[in-house]
Amino acid sequence: MKFFCSSAQRSPMAVSKRIIWMTGILLAMLIILGPIYLLVKYSISDGPSITTGGKPIPFWPLHPTLSVYGYLFSDRHFYAVLGNSVLIALMTVACSMLLGVPAAYILGRYKIPGRRIVLLGIISVRLFPDIASVIPIVEFFIFVGAHQTYMGVILSHTLLALPYVIFIGMGAFETIPHELEDQASVMGANRFQTFYSVLVPLAVPGLAAAAIYTFLLSWDEFIFAYFLTFGRQEMFTLTLYLNGLKYAEPQNLLAATSVCLSIPVIAFSMLVQRYMIAGISSGSIK
Amino acid sequence: MADVVLKSLMKRYANHVVADRLTLTINDGEFVTLLGPSGCGKTTLLRMIAGLEKVDEGEIVIGGRRYTDLPAQKRNCAMVFQSYALFPHMTVRNNIIFGLRLKKVAPIKIEQKLTWAMNMLHLKGLEERLPRQISGGQRQRVALARALVLDPDVLLLDEPLSNLDAALRETAIEELKNIHRKVGTTIIYVTHNQIEAMTMSERIALLNNGRIEQYDTPRQLYDHPATIFTAEFVGSPSMNFFKGEISIEGRTAGVRTSIGFLRLNKDRSQRIMSMEGKEVTVGIRPQNIYYVEHVAQRRYTDANIELVIELVENMGDRSLIVGKDSGGTLVRFMVTREEELLPGRTMRVFIDGRSIHLFDPLLKLNIFRRDGTI
Ligand SMILES: Nc1ncnc2c1ncn2[C@@H]1O[C@H](COP(=O)(O)OP(=O)(O)OP(=O)(O)O)[C@@H](O)[C@H]1O
Ligand SMILES: [Mg+2]
Repeated sequence: MKFFCSSAQRSPMAVSKRIIWMTGILLAMLIILGPIYLLVKYSISDGPSITTGGKPIPFWPLHPTLSVYGYLFSDRHFYAVLGNSVLIALMTVACSMLLGVPAAYILGRYKIPGRRIVLLGIISVRLFPDIASVIPIVEFFIFVGAHQTYMGVILSHTLLALPYVIFIGMGAFETIPHELEDQASVMGANRFQTFYSVLVPLAVPGLAAAAIYTFLLSWDEFIFAYFLTFGRQEMFTLTLYLNGLKYAEPQNLLAATSVCLSIPVIAFSMLVQRYMIAGISSGSIK
Repeated sequence: MADVVLKSLMKRYANHVVADRLTLTINDGEFVTLLGPSGCGKTTLLRMIAGLEKVDEGEIVIGGRRYTDLPAQKRNCAMVFQSYALFPHMTVRNNIIFGLRLKKVAPIKIEQKLTWAMNMLHLKGLEERLPRQISGGQRQRVALARALVLDPDVLLLDEPLSNLDAALRETAIEELKNIHRKVGTTIIYVTHNQIEAMTMSERIALLNNGRIEQYDTPRQLYDHPATIFTAEFVGSPSMNFFKGEISIEGRTAGVRTSIGFLRLNKDRSQRIMSMEGKEVTVGIRPQNIYYVEHVAQRRYTDANIELVIELVENMGDRSLIVGKDSGGTLVRFMVTREEELLPGRTMRVFIDGRSIHLFDPLLKLNIFRRDGTI
């Protein structure tokens, strides 16, 4: 509130600067909130507000209703699917971090021989479109018996996320001064102790970003989940469930499912985002 | 606490030799400073002692134990980096007890140590602050506390005061001296600040190009520089150097230079009697050249020269004057007052012959040096 009240005493220059700022912020909000508004609107729309027969679609539903949510939440399959998605996404985050963070540390900190080739290999995972790599990878998964298992889907998502985790993680570790590592070892810490009590806590902001990204990637992923759970409806993830609703009636079911799809992502991001504080390492090196 | 012996250490980075058969012995409980110009290898030497840098050749023995191939975490050294390297995500308290926890010291003992260090370094009340929430001087003390609670065999300090302002640095020097007196740990202190080195250390090892130029007490280093490098590096403003030739006038030997004949005191004069005709480099500190009005009693050894003032540089309580003699030789000296001393004026100064240094221009060694001592 102080923000607005005090503007009266400021120079015209400062006021106009503030107005430009506020306009910018409002515009940004509009771009972000616009699609969310549309999604929510459709999910609570009644039939006549969607199929208007030539008349313009109303700004707000004629008769807002939550009935479609009621339908969704009475569907036992939907619960199973939601559970699958949450499980797979969280496990993917766990696996990617467990494998990716130590790899990022070693690759980012040490000039090990063959480092460049390893990095190239990691990047190359993302050089092919998923649609091209999915067949050989699923072939392989079938060969080792990992198809139609949760572990299979989790591993495939981990495969997709790892390059990002490693590269974001390397960036995070690179910014930590080497002297902190030296200091820890002079104080008696071995490599592992230095890693988890000094380096990881300081890399947390970067690693949190990687975790959010990984969660989103797994949550959104369609092709690998599709091929690896093929023929096993009870193992479907939300994206596959959504795919099944393509021709569904009522039309607002799709919108409601999409809303349900977004909420866990937002929740996870908000939870993890608290660790993305800037300047965590300030004060160590003058 | 322990003594430190470095035996013939070699260290190279590619073709660049950072430690060149470096040998140094530091006694148990001694405060030794490594002094030298930037890039001469001081930090590298400390890091080798701490185990952070591999040794190419030679031995490091601390407290009779061979340390050369021991990894850093197994050595009982503590180090304070120039940047302090406090762990930014840990409170002051956790920074200080980090090492104790790793060593699995009993919690009661940890608390005792913490209290002891917090009291000694005036850090009480800052326990729960993060490094970014305390001042530069406080950070420096936390870094010191963190090192001291570990009871190290040897405490390695890499320019710990270089981030502090002049006033804080003076207090910190006093504090560090006090702590050393109280704790008695062997300290190896790195600096390129002469004042710090002179005021704190029991002995100074002057490094140059990966070698030790001279290892002596501060007094000895200043009064009896063993090499031209030491003479030039130690003391501020730095020494005047002139070319000269040993010659005999009357019954005493002295040096003939472009600014005149310089007499030595009797003892030293006798020692160079036999060297007549030898070329030497003469070193004279600006502090040993007197403005005539300042000398109440003239001595036999004082040489008298006339200079035209070229430049007057105000250094606070004193001024540095650069004068030129009739032959064009520049002479730098100090005066305590600067009125009337404007460029262009002619003035008379005296050089105290007892305080001049003679070096062999080829070997770069002090010619009064005998078997490594002077
Ligand atoms: N990792 C390295 N690789 C190659 N050369 C290095 C490395 N570390 C240091 N050097 C070189 O070794 C020499 C000594 O470095 P060092 O840091 O020990 O100097 P210093 O005496 O501490 O200098 P300063 O007073 O500026 O801190 C320098 O010439 C430096 O360039
Ligand atoms: Mg250094």
